[in-house]
Amino acid sequence: MKKLTKSLGSFVVPVLSIVLALLIGAIIMAVLGANPLVAMQYLAKGAFGNAANIGTTLTKATPLIFCGLCACFAYKCGVFNLGGEGQFIIGSVACYYVAYCSGIGGVPGILLSLLAGAVAGGIWGLIPGVLKITRGQNEMIITIMFNYVATLFMGVVYTNWLRDESVPQTLPVPDSVQLPRVIDGMRFTWAFVIAIVVGIVLYYFLFWTSGGFKLRAVGYNMTASRFNGFPIKRYILTSFIISGAIAGLGGGAELLGTQFRLINGFGAGYGFDGVSMALIGQLHPIATMIVSIFFAALRAGSTTMQAATGVPTSVSDIIQALVIVFSVAGMALVKLPEFEAFRLRYFRKKEKKEATEQ
Amino acid sequence: MDELLRMEHISKRFGDFYANKKIDLTVKHGEVHTLLGENGAGKSTLMNILIGLYQPTEGKIFVNGKEEHIDSPAHAVKLGIGMVHQHFMLVEAMTVFENIILGDRNVSGLFIDRDARRREIEELSEKYGLDVELDKLITEISVGAQQRVEILKALYHGAELLVLDEPSAALTDIEVEGLFAIMRKLVSEGKSIIFISHKMREVLHISDRITVLRLGEVIGTVNCAETDGKALASMMIGRELSASQYEKMEAKGECVAELKNVDYNKNSKHNGLNGVSMKVHRGEIVGIAGVDGNGQTQLAQLITGVLAPQSGSVELKGKSVSVYDPSSFIKNGVSHVPEDRNLQGLVGDMSITDNLVLKATTAEKFSRGKGLLLKKRDMARYAGEMVGRYDIRCTSVEQTVRSLSGGNQQKVILAREMESEPDLLVAAHPTRGLDIGATRFVHDKMIEARDKGVGILLISADFDEILEVSDRILVFFEGRIMGEYSGKNPPVEEISLAMTGK
Repeated sequence: MKKLTKSLGSFVVPVLSIVLALLIGAIIMAVLGANPLVAMQYLAKGAFGNAANIGTTLTKATPLIFCGLCACFAYKCGVFNLGGEGQFIIGSVACYYVAYCSGIGGVPGILLSLLAGAVAGGIWGLIPGVLKITRGQNEMIITIMFNYVATLFMGVVYTNWLRDESVPQTLPVPDSVQLPRVIDGMRFTWAFVIAIVVGIVLYYFLFWTSGGFKLRAVGYNMTASRFNGFPIKRYILTSFIISGAIAGLGGGAELLGTQFRLINGFGAGYGFDGVSMALIGQLHPIATMIVSIFFAALRAGSTTMQAATGVPTSVSDIIQALVIVFSVAGMALVKLPEFEAFRLRYFRKKEKKEATEQ
Repeated sequence: MDELLRMEHISKRFGDFYANKKIDLTVKHGEVHTLLGENGAGKSTLMNILIGLYQPTEGKIFVNGKEEHIDSPAHAVKLGIGMVHQHFMLVEAMTVFENIILGDRNVSGLFIDRDARRREIEELSEKYGLDVELDKLITEISVGAQQRVEILKALYHGAELLVLDEPSAALTDIEVEGLFAIMRKLVSEGKSIIFISHKMREVLHISDRITVLRLGEVIGTVNCAETDGKALASMMIGRELSASQYEKMEAKGECVAELKNVDYNKNSKHNGLNGVSMKVHRGEIVGIAGVDGNGQTQLAQLITGVLAPQSGSVELKGKSVSVYDPSSFIKNGVSHVPEDRNLQGLVGDMSITDNLVLKATTAEKFSRGKGLLLKKRDMARYAGEMVGRYDIRCTSVEQTVRSLSGGNQQKVILAREMESEPDLLVAAHPTRGLDIGATRFVHDKMIEARDKGVGILLISADFDEILEVSDRILVFFEGRIMGEYSGKNPPVEEISLAMTGK
C-alpha cells in the first residue's frame, strides 16, 4: 500500500496530468473547429513522423534537458535555484569567447569551449550560493536577479564588444568548433548526447553514491543532516556550483550545436522551463529528461499541426501550461491529509471486503 | 473574603487518559493562588478549561457563585477571566496601544475614540504601576515590558481573575521583583491571581494559598504560611519510591566525556549553561534531572558537538576537543538520540533503510570504494535485521520513516545510534511520547548498552525515568548543576527540591 502512494506521487500524477491536459487541448481544438484526433495526429507526426522531425524534437529537447537537470540537482539538495537561465547565458557567453577568440579548432577547441561554459555557469551559481551560506540571503531572489545581469551582460557582448558590423548579434562561431550531427539527415548534434550522459551521471550520483545520498538527506532535512555530522554548507555550495555548471554547459552546447551566435533572445525562458521539467519529472533526472523530450515534441509538432489543420501553435502552449498546472496541483493534492484519509478508508474497505470474501 | 471562582470535580479525558481527574479548586477575592506540579501534572489542561479552550468531560465551574459553561475564550473574558500565556500573544508589528485595544468589544463602528481609550489605559497603568510606553512597537520593548502589556491588556478587558502561566520564566531577577510588586498591588486592589510556577522560592514568596497537582489530581491545598519547601516537594513528587527494576552500577571505567567549566549563553537562565563541570564514565548511566528548559538542550548539544562552548572545554576520552562539529564527535564514538526526533534525528521523507544507514554510507559494509557505489541489497538486508532486533513495526523497510509511529521512529534512531558501537551515548528525552511498552524497550536497550561498557548521558524531564535507570543523578536548574546524587536509593525529596532551585 505504501508503494502505491509512492507510485501515485511519482508516476500516476504526471501521466494523469498529461492525459488531462491533452484532453482539454482536444476540446479547445474542437471549439476552434478542427477535428481533435486529426490535429493530434499531425502534432505527433510533426514531432516524431520522420527522421528529420525526430531530429528537430531532440534538438529542441536539449536545452530543456540541461536546464531541467540544473533545477533538479539543486532542488534535490533543498536549494531553489531559479537562475538556470542566467547560468545558461553566462555559460554560452564564456563558451563563445573561447570558441571565437582562442583560435583552437576541432575537438580540443570544442571541449575547451564547453568547459569554459560549464565553469562560467558554475561561478554564476557559486555567487548566490556564497551569499546564502555566509549571509543567509534568499537564493530565489538572488538567482532571479542574476538572470537579468546575465541577459544584459550578453547584450553588451553582442551589441558592443563583438558586434557583427551593423547587426546587433555576434558572428557565428567558426565551423571547426561547431558540434557535428550524430546521424546524417537528423538535425540533432552531440549536444543531445552530452545532455543524456549528464542526466545518467546525475542519476547515478544521486541514487547510487554516498555523496548523492547525503545530498538528498540535506535537501530533505538540513537540521537532521547537521546533527548526523554532514557538512551541510559544503553540500549546499556544491549543489549551487554543479547545478550552475550544468546550465552553463547547456548554454555552451546550445551555442555550438544550434545557435552558433549570441543574439537577442538567446536562452530566454529556458531557466523557468527547466524548473517545470524538473518538477513534473518529480526531481528525478531520468524522468526530467523524458518530460523534456515530451515538451520538445509538443513544441516541434505544433507548426506541422498549424500548417495542416489551422489549429494555432498557441494551443500547444496551452497544453504545456496545463500539464504544469495539473501536475503541481496533483502533487499538492496527494499530500493533503484529507486525500490520505480518503485513500486509507478506501483501501481498508477493499481489504476488509477481500478478507470477508476469502 | 468570599469566593470568586470555584471549579468542582473537573475531569478532562483524552481517549483513555485523564489529564484532569475530579479537580476541585477555589480562588478567593484578592488572593494569589498557586498551582504547583511537575510537567504533565495537569496544570495547563485545567487552565485551558478555565479560559474556554477545552470543555471539561465532567464538572462544574462557578464564577461569583453562578454556574457558567465557558465555551470560548471570549466568554471567559466576559466573565472577567484573563490569561497571560507563557509565550506572549502580542502582535509584534503593532504598537502597545493597538495591542491593548485589540479585540475590544466597546470599540464599535468605523472609528475608534483613541483619546478616550488612551485615557482609560493610562489610568489603569497608573493605578497598578504597570509602566508601559503606549506608542512603542512590541518589538522595541523588553520582555518584561511585554508582560506588563499582557497584564494591562487583560485588565483593560475587565479581568478580575488573572491567570499567569510561568510568568517569571522569561524574566531577569530584577524584572521578577517588579512583577511581584505588580502582583501584590493587583491583589491589594481586590483582583485575584492564579500563579503557575515551578520555582519553589518564588512560590513561597508570593502565594497566599497553594494547590498541588500530581498526575491530574489535586493532592491538597495549603496555606502558604503553614508550609515549607520540603513539605511541598514531597506533595509534588509524592511517590512511594518503587524499587527500580534495574541494578544500579558504580562506575569504574574510563571517563568517556568530561565538561570542564563550560559556559554557554550563561546569562540566559533557560537556554544556557553556567560553569558546568561533569563527567560520564564507561558503564554508567548519568541522569540529568530537572524541569524542562533549564539548559538541558544546550548540554545535549554541547556534548555532541552541535554547539561550541563559549568558555571552558569538552574532553572526549581524555582528549580535549578542538573542532566543535558533530562529525568530529561522531568519529570519536559519540552517539546522539536528539530531543526532537523528527527535526533532528530522522530524515522523514527517506526510507527506514536510508535512516538506519544514514551515518555509515561510506563504510565498506554498505558501499564499494568509500561511497562510490552503494550496496543497496546489503543495506536492505541490514535494515531487515535491525527491524527484527529492535522490534520496529513496519510493513516494509522501504517505507518512509515519516509514516511510522513515534515509538517506532525512536527505535529506528536507537538502532542507528546503538549499532555504531559508541563510547558515549547521549539520549535526550528518549521516551517522550512513547507508550509503556516502547518506553520499557528503550530502557532495556540502554541498560544493555551500559552493561557492554557504553557511557550514557540521559536527559529527561520525566523524573520517574531518571530514577528508574540512572546510576548517578545530576540536577539542573537555570543552567547550573544543583547537586549530585547516587542512583542507588536516591533521596527523592532532596532531588525534587533541587529541581525547583532550592
